[in-house]
Amino acid sequence: MRFPNKKLKFKPCRLVLLLALAAVFVFFLKLRARADVKPAYAFVNCQVVMAPGQIIEKGKIIVRDGLIEAVGPVEKIPVPPDAEIIEASGLTAYPGLISAHTNLFLEVKEQPQPQRPEDYYRSFLQPSEPQEFPDLLVLKELKPKLKTVQAYHKAGITTVVVAPNRGIFQGQSVVLNLNGENLNPMVIKQPWALHLNFTTERGHYPSSLMGTVAFIRQKFYDTQYYAQHWKKYLFSPAGLKRPEYDPFLEALVPFVMDKKPVVFQCNNQEDIKRALKIIKEFNLNGILTGANEAWRVIEAIKQSGIPLMVSLDFKAPATSLYAQQGEVARKKAENELYPANAAVLQKENVNFALTSFGLTDSSFLKNLQLAIKRGLSPETALRALTVEPAKILGLDKQLGTIEKGKMANLIFTRGPLFEDKTKVIKVMVDGLLFNYEEKSQ
Amino acid sequence: MNARKTNSRKIIFITMIIIFLGAAVPLLQAGGNLLIKNAHILTITKGELKGDVLIQNGLIKQIGENLTAPSGTRVIEANGRYLIPGIIDTHTHIALSGTNEGTDAITPEVNMADVINPDDTSIFTALTGGVTMVHTMHGSANPIGGRNVVLKLKWGKPSEELIVKEAYPTLKFALGENVKQSNRPLLPGRPQRYPATRMGANAIIRRELLRAREYMAQWERYQKLSRAKNPPANLLPPRKDLRLEVLADLLRGKLLARCHAYVATEMIEFLNLAKEFNFKIGAFEHAWEAYKITDELLAAGVGISVFIDSWAYKMEAAEGIAYNAAYCTRRGLLVSINSDSGERIRRLFNEAGKAVKYGLTPDEALKLITINAARQLGVDKYVGSIEVGKQADLALFSEHPMSAYTRCDMTIIEGEVYFDRDEIIKEREAAAVKKGGN
Repeated sequence: MRFPNKKLKFKPCRLVLLLALAAVFVFFLKLRARADVKPAYAFVNCQVVMAPGQIIEKGKIIVRDGLIEAVGPVEKIPVPPDAEIIEASGLTAYPGLISAHTNLFLEVKEQPQPQRPEDYYRSFLQPSEPQEFPDLLVLKELKPKLKTVQAYHKAGITTVVVAPNRGIFQGQSVVLNLNGENLNPMVIKQPWALHLNFTTERGHYPSSLMGTVAFIRQKFYDTQYYAQHWKKYLFSPAGLKRPEYDPFLEALVPFVMDKKPVVFQCNNQEDIKRALKIIKEFNLNGILTGANEAWRVIEAIKQSGIPLMVSLDFKAPATSLYAQQGEVARKKAENELYPANAAVLQKENVNFALTSFGLTDSSFLKNLQLAIKRGLSPETALRALTVEPAKILGLDKQLGTIEKGKMANLIFTRGPLFEDKTKVIKVMVDGLLFNYEEKSQ
Repeated sequence: MNARKTNSRKIIFITMIIIFLGAAVPLLQAGGNLLIKNAHILTITKGELKGDVLIQNGLIKQIGENLTAPSGTRVIEANGRYLIPGIIDTHTHIALSGTNEGTDAITPEVNMADVINPDDTSIFTALTGGVTMVHTMHGSANPIGGRNVVLKLKWGKPSEELIVKEAYPTLKFALGENVKQSNRPLLPGRPQRYPATRMGANAIIRRELLRAREYMAQWERYQKLSRAKNPPANLLPPRKDLRLEVLADLLRGKLLARCHAYVATEMIEFLNLAKEFNFKIGAFEHAWEAYKITDELLAAGVGISVFIDSWAYKMEAAEGIAYNAAYCTRRGLLVSINSDSGERIRRLFNEAGKAVKYGLTPDEALKLITINAARQLGVDKYVGSIEVGKQADLALFSEHPMSAYTRCDMTIIEGEVYFDRDEIIKEREAAAVKKGGN
């Protein structure tokens, strides 16, 4: 307080210096936290599961510039001189897993939940804002966190679809590689698909399930009409009134007219039938997701040939018989019937992808193990988390197997994948290496 | 050339036969086979008799004494118990995920067939009371609700197998207190929905029907122009409006109106609307004051689907009388008794039985929940009575079904047993023993 002027004089300088130091520090921290980047890597002496059923006992994988340069038996593949050699004996390399439906990094924006009974009553009677977002690009809402990325790595997942999660017309999803926390380099496909859910509005039309079905159908018919009208307006002689711009329908045009993928979230067996009916009515490029009651409507799914993404969430839907028969019956079904969903699909020769939708990284692994215990073969499980989702995403040339030219998305485990004690030791995404080896090992 | 032609004809003929056989096979396997011995059969339409009923492929093959069945057919010994046609509930909301689309006053675009839930345990509850078929409906929140659906209660079967495609397609209308929301508290900031009065309900229905007429005219104009020799270059079809499509179907006679109404005046108004727009009414629902306007209802040929004796539970039911069903039946109206509930549905036979107290014979009372209901739903060719050739939807009762002491022992749909009281009791006892053993 005695020399105020002096203090003021020196403070800005120090502050700048401090800030600069902090910035450098943070920069280095970030670099450390992200991943190792080398011109090329050679993983040697590991078992390589190139694709489900295609195994090289002692193999070598060369990775350069984010892509797989070569893969094969260890003696046949030369190591490039500039490659860093990583001794991986005792480890097994798998293609990175793909979860084609998640709500990762998404900040949940739910409407405030009523606290007092009178609020509850009111919230149902008073109109709130409609929750429809056909033009929402979920990419714009994402804030990736390295912690989450690392947790998913430890579950073996290297690629995810992040789908929006509010409303009936939920918005458009994105395919991401979990290669760090900087969003743009993560993007593989943007946007991927339009996502729909058979839910209802609160205090708005449609407030019932049958209203939702009618609402979806009307919007699709309106889109056809809207697109036809605009086309005619732009390409035919004068004398036609200009149609009014409608952002809702405008967002739907690529999906209804140009047949971009439309993903229907199916929360129970009847949702699957509802979705199939709508897909057929509008000849959509449809995909089913959720579908943990797929085992109950096998015939309908088989006949349709519509791609199927099955969540490993085993919660019995409220509409199901099992949820209506009391706690004991519900828990029994959730332990025995629902985990056998994938096994039934496998037995019936239905192709499907598995997703972690509705689950966390740890419950995903736990439920996957239970599904395997209920009859799903580990090989089908691997296919359902690699080759199948890659095909559904239209990325089977880039993803899904360990092959020359594909993305270097690899996971290295000690022990067979999906087993209880198996740990993911190394993960490579887009050629970036993440090490998870415990220090004691 | 000729040989080739006959050859190709032969191929077409053979493929047609294969297709025909392929289509016929599931038809033949559709229902079950049963022989019910020594029953007291209440046929409803052809009197009563003691004897046997033979069921093959889900249909009633033979009714008579000392019938024999092909080997392998399951035989049910009735021991003189009462066999009746499966009970039909003409107004209920079970087996659905949702009842009302209550946000808008006019919602004919919604279809209850889209939201069938075959897992709803009310289906089983209904089976325990001998019910085999329901007309499951949109609620009464809107002047024009949604399309309804008729289901057979095939518990455990996938939803599409429950739907009765032969039944009349129907559209729910509603009038009175529920529609004008007079029993809903007004909250600050929440606008009251139009209509709030009975004249409003009538006016809004009329307005929508006029819109539907205009919609039909628009499409006709478009089709005429598009079929012309030189259609205009800028010709666009009208916007497809699912709401008006359904109302247009009503005006074309493809749908029947089923109208929830309590008081006489609103029913008369609705009859006038039907006359003005030339649409058909399937029945009035609840119709508490139908006894006041039987002449008008008879002239219009409109029946009623009612409760038996739960009157005066709200203002507009104040002038309801328990003699309504019996009196209207005697006056010649087509009357059915409904449950409108997932619980009352299991004792619908008791409800019909009460009509005996109010003046009907037991035979007449039983018709209220069997053949009358089938006629109201347009399925009397297939169900509603025990006749050779009809579908074997049956219920076996311990006593006369109109007795207060009766109980349903078995419920059969298309020759398949969906409820067997003895079996259920055995199952439960076994489960209890198992639980005790642990």
